[in-house]
Amino acid sequence: MARHASLAIISNSLATSKQVLELKNRDATTSVVDANLFKTSLLTQFAGLLLHLPQEVIATSIIILQRFLVSSASIATEIDLLTTSQLIPEASLVSASAASVYLSAKQSFYPLSPRSIINVYALLTSPEASLLSFINSNATGIIHSSEPPNSRNYHVSEGAYETHRQALFDAESRILASLAFDTKVVLPHTLALTYMQALSASTVPLAERVLAHLNAALLSPQLLYLTHQPNALAVAAIYLAAREQEVALVDDEVAWWEVFDVGREGLGFLVLSMGSLNGFVEAEKVSWTGN
Amino acid sequence: MSSRWTNRDDDEDEYLSQRKKQKEEKRRLRDEKQRKAEAEKANDLNIDEVGRLPKRLRTASPPQEDAPEVTHPFDNSTQSFGSSNTLDLYDVLNSIDEGSYGFVSRARVKGSGEVVALKRLKIDRSVEGFPVTGLREIQTLKACSHLHIVNLREIVLGGPSLQDVYLVMDFLEHDLKTLLEDMSEPFLPSETKTLMLQICSATEYLHSNWIVHRDFKTSNILMNNRGEIKLADFGMARYTGNPPPKLTQHVVTLWYRAPELLLGAEDYGFEIDIWSIGCIFAELLTREPVFQGKNEVSQLSEIFTLLGTPTTKTWPGFRSLPNAKALYPLLNTSTSRKPTLNAARFPYLTSGGLQCLSAMLALNPDDRPTAAKTLSHSYFKEDPRPKPKEMFPTFPSKAGQEKRRRRATPQAPNRGDAPKLEAEDFAGILKTAEHEPQGAGFALRMG
Repeated sequence: MARHASLAIISNSLATSKQVLELKNRDATTSVVDANLFKTSLLTQFAGLLLHLPQEVIATSIIILQRFLVSSASIATEIDLLTTSQLIPEASLVSASAASVYLSAKQSFYPLSPRSIINVYALLTSPEASLLSFINSNATGIIHSSEPPNSRNYHVSEGAYETHRQALFDAESRILASLAFDTKVVLPHTLALTYMQALSASTVPLAERVLAHLNAALLSPQLLYLTHQPNALAVAAIYLAAREQEVALVDDEVAWWEVFDVGREGLGFLVLSMGSLNGFVEAEKVSWTGN
Repeated sequence: MSSRWTNRDDDEDEYLSQRKKQKEEKRRLRDEKQRKAEAEKANDLNIDEVGRLPKRLRTASPPQEDAPEVTHPFDNSTQSFGSSNTLDLYDVLNSIDEGSYGFVSRARVKGSGEVVALKRLKIDRSVEGFPVTGLREIQTLKACSHLHIVNLREIVLGGPSLQDVYLVMDFLEHDLKTLLEDMSEPFLPSETKTLMLQICSATEYLHSNWIVHRDFKTSNILMNNRGEIKLADFGMARYTGNPPPKLTQHVVTLWYRAPELLLGAEDYGFEIDIWSIGCIFAELLTREPVFQGKNEVSQLSEIFTLLGTPTTKTWPGFRSLPNAKALYPLLNTSTSRKPTLNAARFPYLTSGGLQCLSAMLALNPDDRPTAAKTLSHSYFKEDPRPKPKEMFPTFPSKAGQEKRRRRATPQAPNRGDAPKLEAEDFAGILKTAEHEPQGAGFALRMG
């Protein structure tokens, strides 16, 4: 359906319910798919941080990766990877994550060389040196500059680099084709800050919580960024943050979210999903150490 | 015995009742039509992005539902994503052109028979994966929705290998370059204004969306037979910001390249597009590209010949640009060079038009007007007024393989010895041209 031009700059292409269902129904237990989605998103977030990318580029990478996984859900080979229950994501999922970072960085003001990306992914997927605790059980999630991890564990030789680079380019092309080259991503972060100003609730602590909720929602296996428009995500994050900090936004009786074109039902769903993320992550963590 | 009169009364009764019926039927139809029209109107208005009836209508006839359902603008306007289509949907007809960066051909949509333009991207994935220029072209064109920017319909794949990627765009009959080359006389002043207004409105749209085109030239401006131009070839276009990111200077076709780019500036902005549009303006007036340098240096000297040399007063800071040092000899020997951009050069241009042109062709980028400012220039308001696009003449289309009148060209040489040419023959060939008086000449067509 044709969209009004001015709406296009604050809205995203969304996944259809059929696409999401196909993805989630591939396996009898959706928990494996959910775990893989979460791990791949987390891997992407970590890679972006190590590559010193701004959060807007990282967020874009994660959304492009998730769109790719949803869009290729009907392709058996891709989805098999998501339904495989194992701690370290399949190599092809890692390539997809790397390619989405490469693609998003390329289109931003912060392009990266394939070499830097391949190096970082080699570190992150190394069972000895990774910062991700589902890959390396000793990982703390923090890099100590005083004692860097032993580089022998994640060194990429010239020959391996060539292979990885080819895999990276192939994955990039697969992503582009499966999205029909629609790589435009609109993020809710700036909208949220604008909404807070409109609500006269623009304080630093509240803004920090709002942005934290928005960034955490990127990792949600419920693919919130693929099923909701930026305005709804922004409003839900503000609602949740304000309730946590007991900030009174406006008169309790007023349905202020309606002003930002969000319905009560949609808001309720998002607030629940964002709020339940913590529990999901804790459960996941237990399953990693349990193995 | 019934008289003829009674009989007639019966007839009349019947007639009257029939009339009545007809009238009723008519009224019913009319009412229905009106209802439908109203419903449609309400529907149309409903589509507006607020998703509610506009205030005027709401107060005039409040909606009848007991609990008016609140709809949100995004609810029914969502786009989904999915895989690309393949080239199988199209029949390729004939090739149109090979651009700086892709082949363009005409094609027909299987089924509907619509004619479209297919642009094949040159893809060399060995160095950086999918080329960033191709990505930017797709990204920027997709983001644009404007009457004077070519419409990108979709992106299709040539095969499973992803080596061939095609942009499917609306087909337009002409490009301005081919058209100007084939015209026996340039566009009329009123037509030039319409074309310039269209180009500037597209530019204003791009710039307000933070897109810098970086390859404005007449061959990238397409035109249809309905007097509309559309900007095409976004192969160099990209998003920029404030402050601008690191940008390459290797942009814009030489003849349309702004002086700051030639001098090696790294932090350029939208002004480089305005310069190129100035060049296009001049080309529309004379049918000849205004600066035709052979390389960067001769391009600069062409520019300085027409516009005079910059001084630290007219362009503060130009001496600190990377390539400015190489210019010192040129600048010192020709310190007295004065601009020759005047009425003698563009005889059919009014003083307002000349002012507009020289503003766009200001050496100092800061002196060039924005696209929005150009649109409101007095040149476009003076007589002759811009010609309505519906009144534009039509031309045979080269891209559509229509027959065209050939321009007179010299005959092929006869058999026999080629005439000998001595070097002296050429000695004075350019000297006389420089001193030739330039006059207004004579134009038959006005307006």
